[in-house]
Amino acid sequence: MTGMRGLSVFISDIRNCQNKEAERLRVDKELGNIRTCFKNEKVLTPYKKKKYVWKMLYIHMLGYDVDFGHMEAVSLISAPKYPEKQVGYIVTSCLLNENHDFLRLAINTVRNDIIGRNETFQCLALTLVGNIGGRDFAESLAPDVQKLLISSSCRPLVRKKAALCLLRLFRKNPDAINADGWADRMAQLLDERDLGVLTSSTSLLVSLVSNNHEAYSSCLPKCVKILERLARNQDVPQEYTYYGIPSPWLQVKAMRALQYFPTIEDPSTRKSLFEVLQRILMGTDVVKNVNKNNASHAVLFEALSLVMHLDAEKEMMSQCVALLGKFISVREPNIRYLGLENMTRMLMVTDVQDIIKKHQSQIITSLKDPDISIRRRALDLLYGMCDVSNAKDIVEELLQYLSTAEFSMREELSLKAAILAEKFAPDLSWYVDVILQLIDKAGDFVSDDIWFRVVQFVTNNEDLQPYAASKAREYLDKTAIHETMVKVSAYILGEYGHLLARQPGCSASELFNILHEKLPRVSTPTIPILLSTYAKLLMHAQPPDPELEKKIWAVFKKYESCIDVEIQQRAVEYFELSKKGAAFMDVLAEMPKFPERQSSLIKKAEEVEDTADQSAIKLRAQQQPSNALVLADPQPVSGAPPPLKVPSVSGSTQNPESVARSLPQPNGTPSPDLLSDLLGPLAIEASPGDVSTEQHGPIGAEGVPEEVGGSAIVPVEEQTNTVEVIGNIAERFHALCLKDSGVLYEDPYIQIGIKAEWRGHQGRLVLFLGNKNTSPLTSVQTLILPPAHLRLELSPVPDTIPPRAQVQSPLEVMNIRPSRDVAVLDFSYMFGTKLVSAKLRIPATLNKFLQPIQLTSEEFFPQWRSLSGPPLKLQEVVRGVRPLALPEMATLFNSFRVTICPGLDPNPNNLVASSTFYSESTGAMICLARIETDPADRTQLRLTVGSGDPTLTFELKEFIKEQLITIPMGSRALVPAPTPAPPVAQPLSPAALADDPGALLAGLL
Amino acid sequence: MPVAASAIYFLNLRGDVLINRTYRDDVGGNMVDAFRTHIMQTKELGNCPVRQIGGCSFVYMRISNVYIVIVVSSNANVACGFKFVVEAVALFKSYFGGAFDEDAIRNNFVLIYELLDEIMDFGYPQNLSPEILKLYITQEGVRSPFSSKPKDKPVPNATLQVTGAVGWRREGLSYKKNEVFLDIVESVNLLMSSKGNVLRCDVTGKVLMKCFLSGMPDLKLGLNDKIGLEKESEMKSRPAKSGKTIELDDVTFHQCVNLTRFNSEKTVSFVPPDGEFELMKYRITEGVNLPFRVLPTIKELGRTRMEVNVKVKSVFGAKMFALGVVVKIPVPKQTAKTNFQVTTGRAKYNPSIDCLVWKIRKFPGQTESTLSAEIELISTMGEKKSWTRPPIQMEFQVPMFTASGLRVRFLKVWEKSGYNTVEWVRYITKAGSYEIRC
Repeated sequence: MTGMRGLSVFISDIRNCQNKEAERLRVDKELGNIRTCFKNEKVLTPYKKKKYVWKMLYIHMLGYDVDFGHMEAVSLISAPKYPEKQVGYIVTSCLLNENHDFLRLAINTVRNDIIGRNETFQCLALTLVGNIGGRDFAESLAPDVQKLLISSSCRPLVRKKAALCLLRLFRKNPDAINADGWADRMAQLLDERDLGVLTSSTSLLVSLVSNNHEAYSSCLPKCVKILERLARNQDVPQEYTYYGIPSPWLQVKAMRALQYFPTIEDPSTRKSLFEVLQRILMGTDVVKNVNKNNASHAVLFEALSLVMHLDAEKEMMSQCVALLGKFISVREPNIRYLGLENMTRMLMVTDVQDIIKKHQSQIITSLKDPDISIRRRALDLLYGMCDVSNAKDIVEELLQYLSTAEFSMREELSLKAAILAEKFAPDLSWYVDVILQLIDKAGDFVSDDIWFRVVQFVTNNEDLQPYAASKAREYLDKTAIHETMVKVSAYILGEYGHLLARQPGCSASELFNILHEKLPRVSTPTIPILLSTYAKLLMHAQPPDPELEKKIWAVFKKYESCIDVEIQQRAVEYFELSKKGAAFMDVLAEMPKFPERQSSLIKKAEEVEDTADQSAIKLRAQQQPSNALVLADPQPVSGAPPPLKVPSVSGSTQNPESVARSLPQPNGTPSPDLLSDLLGPLAIEASPGDVSTEQHGPIGAEGVPEEVGGSAIVPVEEQTNTVEVIGNIAERFHALCLKDSGVLYEDPYIQIGIKAEWRGHQGRLVLFLGNKNTSPLTSVQTLILPPAHLRLELSPVPDTIPPRAQVQSPLEVMNIRPSRDVAVLDFSYMFGTKLVSAKLRIPATLNKFLQPIQLTSEEFFPQWRSLSGPPLKLQEVVRGVRPLALPEMATLFNSFRVTICPGLDPNPNNLVASSTFYSESTGAMICLARIETDPADRTQLRLTVGSGDPTLTFELKEFIKEQLITIPMGSRALVPAPTPAPPVAQPLSPAALADDPGALLAGLL
Repeated sequence: MPVAASAIYFLNLRGDVLINRTYRDDVGGNMVDAFRTHIMQTKELGNCPVRQIGGCSFVYMRISNVYIVIVVSSNANVACGFKFVVEAVALFKSYFGGAFDEDAIRNNFVLIYELLDEIMDFGYPQNLSPEILKLYITQEGVRSPFSSKPKDKPVPNATLQVTGAVGWRREGLSYKKNEVFLDIVESVNLLMSSKGNVLRCDVTGKVLMKCFLSGMPDLKLGLNDKIGLEKESEMKSRPAKSGKTIELDDVTFHQCVNLTRFNSEKTVSFVPPDGEFELMKYRITEGVNLPFRVLPTIKELGRTRMEVNVKVKSVFGAKMFALGVVVKIPVPKQTAKTNFQVTTGRAKYNPSIDCLVWKIRKFPGQTESTLSAEIELISTMGEKKSWTRPPIQMEFQVPMFTASGLRVRFLKVWEKSGYNTVEWVRYITKAGSYEIRC
C-alpha cells in the first residue's frame, strides 16, 4: 500500500469531514474522479487502477453505493503483480456475490491462479472461491481444488484453504465431488499429520458425511484415530493447544462427523472410541477460566451427544448423568443451562430416568432460578423425567411453583402440569384435586381443554363422581373464584350434585343459591352452563321443591329475552321442558359416558414442543407427525333434529358433527347429549363403542370379496374392475370442476370427498377420506403428481383409517401460470389383503382461478379494443358444439366463473363475458370473451377470447372450447400423468350428460 | 397574543446543545434527546419544519451550521415562532457583526443569554429591534459611576425609547451630510416546463433603506404601483398617466410606516429608523419580465452517451448586463467524461452535485449564449434506473433591472430644519429558484 498518496489523502480528507454531508460531497467528487479515470483507458495505468479500486472499496465500506467499476476490479485479478492481484481479489470478493454474471469472467483467471505454481496466488484464489464461489465455480474448479488438497507438494497453508474452498463448492453443488472416487482420498487425508489441514478436512468430511454416510464409511476409523491422538495428546504442536486442550475444534468436528454414521460395527474401533469418550467424560471439570470452560464443555457436550447417539452402555450413561448433575449444581448459569438441556436430551434417548431422578431436587431448585431460560429448561426436564413414581412430587412442585411463576410461563406450566397429572395419576381423585387446584391457582391460563378433560374423566368414572362433586362444592365456598372454576363446578354439580344431597349444605336449593351468587359476575359463555345446571338441579330436586322451582323459573324467565341467542334459547327451552315432567327427566338424564379419546392436551403439547434444536440424535428420534385430523364418524347432517328433543341445536353452528354424533348413542337414550356442543372441541377422535368391539373381528366377516387378495400390485385398469367404483369418476370430476364441494371418488370401502376454497391464485382443498366400513383401511397412501403450473402441498395422510372414521387431509394449491393441465392424485389403500388404487384428477382446473367480475360497457369496450389481435386476442370458429339455448349457455359460462355481461352486445345472439384470472406469474388479469352464435345452426359458434397474457388467452380459449364441445369425455386427453384417468366404469350417454351442468350436479346427488 | 415558545434550543449539526433557554416550565428537560432521536436522525429533517412528538411541538430551522429549535407544549402560533427565530438571528447578526454560526455562538455565550432574556418574556416575543436593544445591552465596558471622568455622552433614556411613540428612532441625531440610500431588491422564482410553458412564476421584492438623516425627518415614498397612482390621480382630480402600473400583492411594511396615512391616502410615509432597515416587502405574480430564457435539449444516445445543448437568451435591455450567471445542468450520476463547447464563460462538471456548472461572469442584454456538451456515462452493475431529469437551475444578478417593472417615482424628505438631502436609488434583480425542466 506504500506510495499510494492519493488514497491516503482521500482517506484523511474523509476523516476530516465535519459532518455527513461534507463526507458525501467528498465521496461524490471522488466517484466522479474515478469514473472519469476509468473511462479514459489510455491513461489508466495498472497503478492508477489499483489506487482507484482501493478507493472504491473504501467508499463501499463507508456505506455508499458503488455500482460501477466492477469490471476494473475483476480485470485486476489477472494482473501479474501481487499488489494488483491482491486488490483485485479483495475488491471482487467484497463487491460481488455469487449471483453476479461478472464473476464468470473471472473463472478462468482464478483457475489459472489455482493451478499455477505461485502459492500466494493460489491462496488468494482459493479464498475468493471459498467466499463467493457459486455453482459455476463448483462445476469448473472442483477437480483442481481437489488436486490441490491431496497434492503432497503443496504447503499445509494452501491445502487448508483448499479443503475449506472445496467445502464451499460442495455446499453449492453436491455433485462437484464424486463420492466413489473421493472417499478413499478423504480417508487418506485424515491420516494427515498437520492439525490445521486435518481440521479443515474434517469440516469437509462433516459436510460430506451428512450427505452420504455410506460412501465414507472408510473414514470412520480414521476419525476415531484422530480422536485418540488428540485425547492422548500425542504429536499435538503447541500452537494447536488451547488452554491445555489439544485442538478442541478438531475434537468437536471429529465427533460430529461420527454422529452421522449410524453405528460402529467394528468392536475394536468401538472400544477405542469409548476409551476416548471415557477419557473426555472423566477429564472435564468446571474451572475458573471461562475460555477454558467453553472449550472443554464444547468437547464434552459433543461427546455426550456422541454417547447418546451410540447407545452406550448403561455405566457410561450414568457417568454422563452424574457429570451433568454436577453441572446443574454449578452457580454459573450458562453451565447450568447446558446441563439441564443435555439432561433433557438424554431423556429422549435412553433409559437413564432412574439416574436422572437422583437429581430431582436439584432440578426443582433450578425451577426457581432467576434466569427464565434456565427455568424453562428445568420445566422441560421435569416434564420429560416425570413418570408414575415421581409424578405426585413433580406435579405438586409445579403447582406450588405456579403461584409464583411469571405470566409468560404460566400457560405452559399449567398445561404441562395437567398433562402429567393425567398421564401418571396414581388415582383419579388425585387427578381431580390437581386440576381443581390448577384452575384455582391459575385460572386464566387453564385452557378449556383442561377442564373438558376433567369432565370427561368424572363422567366416565362413577366412583369419582361424588368425590368430584364434593370437591367442587368446597371450592364454591371460596369468596373469589375463577370463572373456569365456576364452569367446571357448575357442570359437575349439575350432573352429580344430587349424589351429595345427604350432606349438609348440599341440597338442591342450597346448591342453586351458591351457584346463583356467581351468576352476576360471569361472562356470557358461562351463563348457558349455569342455566343447564339449574335445569339439572331442578330435575334432580327430590322431592320437588316448589320454591326452588319458582326461583329457577324466574331465572329462565329473565333470560328469555336475553340478547345472546344461546342463552335465550336455553332459557326458553328449559322453561318449557321443565313443565313437561317425564320428558324433562328424559331429556336431562345423566350424561352418557364419553368414548375413550386421545387426550387433546397431549396433542396440544406436541404442537407446542419446540423443534428448534435439531441435533443428529433428535432428528433420528423424531417421528413424522401427521397433520391430518381424524374426525368423528361422518354421518351426513341431513336435517336439523327436532328442536325440543335436542336443545343443543343452537350450538350446531360450532360443530356440526357433534350433533350428528349424538344420534347413534350407545346406551340408547333419546338424545340427552346436552353438553356435547360444549364439549365439542374435545371430539377429536370418536369411534362409537359398539363398533370398536367389532373392530378386531375377522376381516372377512363383512363379506368382502377376496378375489384380489394375493396380488399386491395390480394395474389400475384391472383394479377399477375388481373394486366396483360407485358412480362415474370422470363425471364426478367434471361436476367438481364447476362446484367447490362434492364427492370425488367412491367405492364400497371408501368415499373421498373434496371441499375447496379459492382465493386469488391460491386454493385450499380438503380431502375427506371416509372409511365406509367397520374394519380399518390400512396402507393408505396418497401421492400428488402436480403439473408444472401448479404448486401443490398435500399434508400427509395417516397410514390407517379407523372404521367408520373420516380423515381430513388439507391440500394447498398455488397457481403459477395459466394452463389447462390437471393435477393427479395417486391414491391407494389396503382393505384386508386387497390393494386398491386409483388415479384421480384433482379439480384444480383453470376456471377455479377465475373470479367473476361484471363489467359495464364503459369498462368493457376500451379493454376489448386495447387487446388487438393475436396473441393477446384469439378468435376461432368452433364447430360441433352441443346445441344450447342462449340462457343455458349463459348459465354454463357463469358456472365456470366467466360472468356474462348482459346487454353489452347489441346483437341478441351474441354473448359477452368477463372474468379475472389469478396466478403467480400474471397476477390478477382481466379476461374477456365474446361468443357469436348462429341462430340457424346451434352447433357452431365463433369464439373470441382476449386477455393481457398470450398463454392465458390461449388456455382460456381452449378451456371454453372444451366446455362447449359435444363430446366432453373423449376430447379430454389432457391429463399430464403417464397413465390417463381410469376409464369410465359406467359411461353415461354423453348427450344426456352434456345437456346442462345442472343435470351433471343432479346426477351426483 | 399566543405563546410562541416554551423553550428555545440552539444545537449544532451533531445535535449537541450549544445554548438553551427555557421560558415556561411546561416542557421537560429531555427535549433535545427527543429532537435528536425523532427528528435529526430521520429523513424528515430537511422537509418537515414542524413536528409533534409526545404532546410537544418542535418548530425548527437550520441557519448555517446551527439548528434553532423552539419547543412548545401549548397551541402556539407557529408563524410567530418562525418570525421570532428569524428576527432573533438578525439581531444576533447585528450584534456579532455578520456571521451567525456555531463559533459565533460559542464566542458570545454571555451576550446571547442576555439577549434571550430580553427578547422574550414567558414565551411572548418582545422588542427585537437591534436599534433599541443596543441602547441598553451594550458590548462595551460599563463605566463606574464613581469614576472621576465626566460623562461625555448623556445616557439615553431607554424606558422612553421602549415605550415612546417613535420607538425606533433616537432623537438628537445629526449628520453633516444627509443621505438616503434606497435599494429595490427583487428575486424571481420561475418553474418552466421543457416546452417553454411557464408553470409558476412570481417575484418577491424588498425595499431596503439606509438613512443618514439628522433630526426627526418625515419621508414619503412614491412608487409606480397601481393603488398609489389611482389614489393620487383621484385626489388631484386628473387622469392617471398612461405609464405602466404595477399591482403589488401581499405588501408588508416596516413598523415605522404610518398605516393610517397609507389607508387613507395610499402613500408610504414614515419616520425612518437610523441606519439600515427593510422598509417594505411585496410580491408580484402578474406581468413579470423574465430576464432570461433557457432553451435546453438533452438527448440520451444509448446507455453510455448523452448530448446536452443549452441556449440562454438575455431578454432585458441591451444596455444592461447580468452578473454572476451560473447555469447548473443536471447530468446522471454515472457521468464519467464530459466535453464542452461554450460561446462565453466557462463550464465544468461538478460530480458532488451531479451537475454541469456553466459560469458567465458578465452577460450583456439582448444576447445569447450556448453550451453544447457531450457526456459519456460509465456502465453500472445495478439495473438501469431511468434518469429522473431534474430541472436546470440558474443563478444571476441583473443590476438596474426590476423583473416587476417597479420604479421609484419620488422620495421626499421633510424635516423641521429643512436641510437638503441626497437620495440614491438602486435596483437589482436576482434569481430565486429559477428552474427550467428539461
